[in-house]
Amino acid sequence: MRQDTPSAGEAQHAIATRALSLSYGQTHVLRGIDLGLNRGQTLALLGPSGCGKTTLLRLVAGLLAPTRGDIFIDGRQVAGQGVLVPPERRGLGMVFQDYALWPHLSVAGNVAFPLEMAGVGRAERDRRVMAALSRVGLAEMSARRPSALSGGQQQRVAIARAIVGEPRIVLFDEPLSNLDRELRETMVAELGALIRDLGLTAIYVTHDQSEALTLADRVAVMDAGEIAQLAAPEDLVEHPASPKVAEFLRLGAVLTLRRVAEDWHLGQHPLGLTGGPASAMAHVLVTPRALVVADAAGATLTGDVIAIQYRDTAYAITVRLADTAPVQTVQIASNTRMRIGDRIGLTLLSDRLRWFPAQSPHPLKETRSC
Amino acid sequence: MLKTTLRASVATVSLLAATSAFADVTVYTAGPAGLIEQLAAGFTEETGIAIEFFQATTGNIMARIEAEAANPVVDVLISASWDTATDFAERGWLAPYTSPNAATVPDFLQTDTAVAQGVAALAIAWNPTSGTPRPTEWSDLTAPEFQGLVNLPDPAQSGSAFELVAALMATSGIELFDSLAANGAIVAGANAEALNPVLQGAKAAVFGAVDYIALNNMAAGESIEVIFPESGTVIAPRPMMILNWSDNQTDAQAFIDYVLSDAGQAIVAAQNLMPARADVAADRALIADLTILPIDAEAVYGARAETLDAFAGAFAQ
Amino acid sequence: MAKSRAAISPTVALAAVGLSIVVAVPFLAIVLQAIFPTLGRGSFAAPFSAFAGALGDAALIGMAGNTLLLGFCVVVLSAVVSVPLAIARALFRVPGAAIWDVMFLIPFMIPPYIAVLGWIMTLQPRGYLFQLAGFDLGSFLFSLPGIVFVMTLNTFPVVYFAVSRTVETVGSRYADVARLFGATPARAFWRVTLPLSTPGLAASLLLVFAMAIEEYGTPAALGRRAGFDVLVTAIDLRVSDWPIDLPGAAILSLILVILSFCAFLLQRWVLNRRSYEATTGKPQDTSKRELGVWTFPVLALFALVAFVATILPLLAILATALSRTISGGLAWSNLSFRHFAAILGDTTGALKALSTSLSLGVGAALITGLLGALSAYAVVKSRARGRGVLDVLTILPNSLPGIVVAVGLILAWNQPWLPITPYNTSLILLLAYCCILLPQPVRYATAAFHQIGDNLEAAARVSGASSLTAFRRILLPLIAPSLLAAMLLVFAVATRELVASVVIAPVGVSTISTYIWRQFEQGSVGLGMAMAFVTILITTALPLIVLSLMGRRGSLL
Repeated sequence: MRQDTPSAGEAQHAIATRALSLSYGQTHVLRGIDLGLNRGQTLALLGPSGCGKTTLLRLVAGLLAPTRGDIFIDGRQVAGQGVLVPPERRGLGMVFQDYALWPHLSVAGNVAFPLEMAGVGRAERDRRVMAALSRVGLAEMSARRPSALSGGQQQRVAIARAIVGEPRIVLFDEPLSNLDRELRETMVAELGALIRDLGLTAIYVTHDQSEALTLADRVAVMDAGEIAQLAAPEDLVEHPASPKVAEFLRLGAVLTLRRVAEDWHLGQHPLGLTGGPASAMAHVLVTPRALVVADAAGATLTGDVIAIQYRDTAYAITVRLADTAPVQTVQIASNTRMRIGDRIGLTLLSDRLRWFPAQSPHPLKETRSC
Repeated sequence: MLKTTLRASVATVSLLAATSAFADVTVYTAGPAGLIEQLAAGFTEETGIAIEFFQATTGNIMARIEAEAANPVVDVLISASWDTATDFAERGWLAPYTSPNAATVPDFLQTDTAVAQGVAALAIAWNPTSGTPRPTEWSDLTAPEFQGLVNLPDPAQSGSAFELVAALMATSGIELFDSLAANGAIVAGANAEALNPVLQGAKAAVFGAVDYIALNNMAAGESIEVIFPESGTVIAPRPMMILNWSDNQTDAQAFIDYVLSDAGQAIVAAQNLMPARADVAADRALIADLTILPIDAEAVYGARAETLDAFAGAFAQ
Repeated sequence: MAKSRAAISPTVALAAVGLSIVVAVPFLAIVLQAIFPTLGRGSFAAPFSAFAGALGDAALIGMAGNTLLLGFCVVVLSAVVSVPLAIARALFRVPGAAIWDVMFLIPFMIPPYIAVLGWIMTLQPRGYLFQLAGFDLGSFLFSLPGIVFVMTLNTFPVVYFAVSRTVETVGSRYADVARLFGATPARAFWRVTLPLSTPGLAASLLLVFAMAIEEYGTPAALGRRAGFDVLVTAIDLRVSDWPIDLPGAAILSLILVILSFCAFLLQRWVLNRRSYEATTGKPQDTSKRELGVWTFPVLALFALVAFVATILPLLAILATALSRTISGGLAWSNLSFRHFAAILGDTTGALKALSTSLSLGVGAALITGLLGALSAYAVVKSRARGRGVLDVLTILPNSLPGIVVAVGLILAWNQPWLPITPYNTSLILLLAYCCILLPQPVRYATAAFHQIGDNLEAAARVSGASSLTAFRRILLPLIAPSLLAAMLLVFAVATRELVASVVIAPVGVSTISTYIWRQFEQGSVGLGMAMAFVTILITTALPLIVLSLMGRRGSLL
């Protein structure tokens, strides 16, 4: 049995993976994932359902075995050729999407379980269980059955269970996706505070980009079993690596443009833009900030208002661009209220666009380009 | 919970294992259960040698011996059919033994390797409350009064029933069975299965009932009468054999001796079986009181398949 | 150890070992016996030489056909009897529902060989029916319809409980949605509720089919007289008629296994085409409809079935047990408690047989419960390779006749080279019962595991529990209610198992069933029936008491 020695980076990292792949027969769920997460950092795995983010989390937890590749936790190899440390020996905490509270145990029994497994004595156990429950504000619920609690309370119990054993690493598998919006926002803040206070290293799986951007030090956007981009939240927003990442982060509309001489055309409309890659086709990310409303007559682009939403201090307006196939919509921010069905003109600001080179005519059919 | 379950299983298992230590002499015997229980108890009391027994039908015992052939455990076999003794002797599975107590056992009830424990005879078992005239002969059961009211044990399942059918076919021909079938008689399983409907009155008589079972029923107060036809019947001696693979020959022989002793034969007689020894009395008709139909065992068993076919033919509507 | 790749979890390994000992060993012995005719003498000579004789039997096609016909008829009649009852029970407020559940549980607790004797004594000419009403149904009883009738009374509870539970789970939720979109109540039932209940129905019908083609007592007692031979009676003939034909019996058993396996594949196919997660959830809609004007007709139907399936056989058994003599008939002067006195006074070894069978029943329930849970886990929850084989092993005993299991166990465990063997100890009976009854706990545990989210186990593993600890602390307690019901069932059935016990009982050991059977064999029907009645009381009452102590009622099947 060969044991891979971790590289210097892998030894430093709290969690590291090297060329991690998982496939079932011909189905490749994950391919070649390389990750490194420093101690005390939170990594968010973000992506649409089926992109492999939960699978990656379960590989780290030891609930699945990789087909190829290595996983290191605190510099110790836990999965790789000839090595598979079972989940109970990885010293992790984990919070599940469906809470996974054991219905036959009381709230305190659920939280005490990891301590029992670690052989902690009864008095010490009781003390730490109550401390963990107090932390999530549920000390007085300790004797109840999980089924008697609300969804938010159940997830708090699950969080208490994950931290009670004082693991250095906690894994979160879409912990808030079963909760309603308002509760979700409160809990994101609570979780962030908890992770900071305890100095946890965390991996946080979610399909909600605002959760990821709020909580994480690093965000890995995943797509089709690969990491499309791994970056700090602000870098991600400012410099999305691909149209797909941009679309998934809902940064704005991605338009496919065709080069005609020095200019770019959207469909048949010349846009009067300069710059962009030296290719025949290009994708361009149009954020609301990159658009200015103009008079419909004579504008390079025209469109119809199809939805209006009042948000914060301005109206968020959805506009369907005229004469585009397939139909394209863009979002703009406006201080004036418009009416649905209004035809408006739009001007693109070249310096606020972000370009991506393209070969295929449609961005969503394209694979990762970075 | 797992631990409790495991612990309980272990406890149960050890309890069960403890209840069945290996026996000194292992006897496989066809019924009745009461007989072997009393014989075993009497033998152990007299000799201090323990007896373990397995009691079932002759067929089930044979299946077990066949399946155990690689590693047989039986020391003494008591069958309800003399055919077993002949067959096992031919296979060379039996150890020869002649008990000193067998001196008064008639010659036709013993060979070098087998001796009768007791003897049953076949008879008409008739329910007197059935509203039918009391039959005295086999052929009486073909009378119109017995239309649809007669059961026959299946000769394919009961060795003694087979011998009766073979003997009667030899003396009366297949016609007797044709008339029985025409009269609505039915072939109804093994011996007990044939008798029960007669007790309740669904049928009036069994053609060829094993006498001691019917006699025991009579003793228990059932409305049943056992009739041995004048024209003759067959007997079913119950052979006892010592198997040659038994490493316990002395004790096995002692058991045979005991069954043939005065005490043993009294127990046999108490079950309404005829004792094997001619000099032991019983409270029932004995071999000397019966007309026994002649049977050439070799010829009869040689033609078993043909006889059964003819019989089945008669009863196939 | 921590560094080595744990290819197979210990839970799965335990299941594999247990299944090998309990099921694979006797089954392999039978397969080997079919191939090597002289295996019983420890020889591997003349392979396949017995096949021509056994398969060339002209009667074989007829018997196989009869077996299928019987299985099919029993399945159809069981469905006809129990589906309406089950649906009424599941969707409507039937007065006295808990009592009906108990009433429909008892027929399953009456050993088939006792039930059929009870029916014979009731329906045959001059039987109890004739004595009370002046007519008899003997010609009906001793015919194919009669056999199907008696066997259905024994098997319909399986369908009744499975379907009523499934329909209850599906509830009227989905049907209500259909009605909202314009379906009439009848159409909503046919288009929504019934299709959603297919899995429960299909699984229970398969079980009934397997039970019907494997059942020995009823076809043997009724079929022979009707000239209706099935595979099981032919197998029995081969192992009980001298010269014994073990290879022939083994080959016919394999045919039976194949028939049963085809039914299993058919069921799988049905379930795979229509698999609904909805049916595995918790019953959500417990509010049931009122029957209204239908109350009386529905109650009459429940009462009729309960009377025919439960009361009548019990009365026949009790009447026989309380009769001084059979020929005395139903007369007050013939009333006697002597048979019960003989049992309670233990003059006939009855109490020892009772305690032997009851301890064996408890042992079999514990072992099959544990092994069933492990096996169901391996099949449902693990991704272990070869779990398909384990799946097959768990259902195989469904189609093995008891007598064949017994012969297989003797062949396997009586080899002279074995250093220790359970053969000729009570353990061999335990093994036989475990093999025959294992499918019950597996069925229950499988259903229960399907309802448990994978994350419950994952959470325990991540919390530091090993695979076995997670199984013991988390999964086992969660399936415990279902498993307990199955174990109680195993207890009830193992306590009175006859066919295997008769062949394999160790020397000097008598069980309830061999005791009863001996009484019948020697003409003491009353004593046998008294013992049967005591057994039915114990095997029905004990599980019900346990269940009601746990706050569950009538959910044994």
